[in-house]
Amino acid sequence: MNTVDPRLERPPCLGYGLGLRVEHYQELLDQPQGVDWLEIVSENYMVPGGLPLVWLERFRARFPLVMHGVSLSIGGTDPLDEGYLARLDALARRVEPAWVSDHLCWTGVQGVNLHDLMPLPYTEEALDHVAARVRQVQDRLRRRILLENVSSYIRYADAQLEEWEFLAEVARRADCLILLDINNVYVSASNHGFDPLRYLDGVPAERVQQFHLAGHERGEALIVDTHDAPVPSPVWELYRAAVRRYGAVSTMIERDDHMPPLSELVAELEHARRLAEPLLQAAA
Amino acid sequence: MKNLQALQLRVQQAVMASSAASPPELAGDAIADARSRLAIYRHGYRARLREALGNEFPTLASLSGKRFPALLDRYIDACPSEHYNLRWHGAGLAAFLRYALPWRERPAYAEAAELDWAISTCFDAADEPAIDAMALAGIAPEHWAGLRLLPQRHLQWLELRSNVDAFRTAADQAAARPHLRQRATPRRLLVWRQDLSVRYRAVGPAESALLEAATRGEPFAMLCEIAAGHAPPGHAVARLAGMLRDWVEAGLIRALQPDER
Repeated sequence: MNTVDPRLERPPCLGYGLGLRVEHYQELLDQPQGVDWLEIVSENYMVPGGLPLVWLERFRARFPLVMHGVSLSIGGTDPLDEGYLARLDALARRVEPAWVSDHLCWTGVQGVNLHDLMPLPYTEEALDHVAARVRQVQDRLRRRILLENVSSYIRYADAQLEEWEFLAEVARRADCLILLDINNVYVSASNHGFDPLRYLDGVPAERVQQFHLAGHERGEALIVDTHDAPVPSPVWELYRAAVRRYGAVSTMIERDDHMPPLSELVAELEHARRLAEPLLQAAA
Repeated sequence: MKNLQALQLRVQQAVMASSAASPPELAGDAIADARSRLAIYRHGYRARLREALGNEFPTLASLSGKRFPALLDRYIDACPSEHYNLRWHGAGLAAFLRYALPWRERPAYAEAAELDWAISTCFDAADEPAIDAMALAGIAPEHWAGLRLLPQRHLQWLELRSNVDAFRTAADQAAARPHLRQRATPRRLLVWRQDLSVRYRAVGPAESALLEAATRGEPFAMLCEIAAGHAPPGHAVARLAGMLRDWVEAGLIRALQPDER
């Protein structure tokens, strides 16, 4: 049974945003033009006090914020960490974000945190397990959460479902929303040899609340999701296909390494806007 | 759930292992074999923990030099991260260096890690107010004896036999690495946060004893007695007044508690 408050409606589209990173703190406050909203990494602000929370308040006063976590381990088999959830809840009360998201993955077992987004085996067993935990988290936070598809490199021998089928079914069973990382779809499609458009077709449009766009690194055989380069052409193409399918969805550039000047990220955001807006107007 | 649990444990062990073996539950295909696929996670796991520890421990990095990567690898193998915040993986590093060979034979390494970790934890410790000189000026003379000075809760003392604080200062200023110096008797280093800046400085035995007494909740009259034990006759009150002024200016005192009797 879903006990999330049914009065909670799907949040609005926020436009075009950036992942908030320390390197751009001051510049973002001085020159916020072109950035409609910001995504914070939740764990970076789940701290008792000091400078991180001072900056957070400054951004909260200037931008709509969303929270994006990396350690929920929704697919993990250790019990959900109540201490973590309490801190996440406290941060959400403080930030009042438009939404809270994390990843469809597991991050460790038996108390260990690998600090990586480990893909799940796409099996019925995992499906039951994850959907139940998503409902538990949503009840605890009293809000729907968004789950993001991760880039994956490993294949489980006993997979029963395609990744997009698994994602769609978790979202349906748990009544949660989806953060669709377009780059991750591209990376996983390349690494596992499926058509990324089939992935987009399999994801329920009414549950897609946010897009991530990012760059990657092409290895000898596999592509690695590095977030250290500009969004490449094939990912922009896939983004256009996603906008055609899902309509107006809050879009964000995610950059974590080889951090360029803010102006470069704003230019990429402007590119996303130029690609998406004509498609949205044509569909209107 | 049992299958999933067992599967995750085997994959986790393979990610953390130093060998390149892949569990049978993972498959390869024409694009890449299972081992190459798993290798991306194995590489990423170690690289992420190394990078985070490197960011948190600049004193230790400077002091240990080219031994630093091997030291981190041993720590990562012995003490996997258990915290949701990657930064907190460093919480056990100083303790590890105190008991693990060969580093326990270089006690300055543990001291360096202890200093780095104290600075790191003060950085985002809970916010507390700090009193100013006006608060002291408003205390009536008859209330001083029972007055309690409450230091910041995040304040930390370190016992150092080496000059690792000079290594930290040099690292923060991108200055030349100093020479390591060892002392026969330890000295105390105070680490705290003033407003949003973390500070550290050496404190002498008298100041150390007084701040510890204040932290224990001893009244001002007791601080005067302790000060008398550390100063030539007739100088204790002036010294204590000077220290008190320094503490307030440095934001070390969060509140004044009047005697409730």
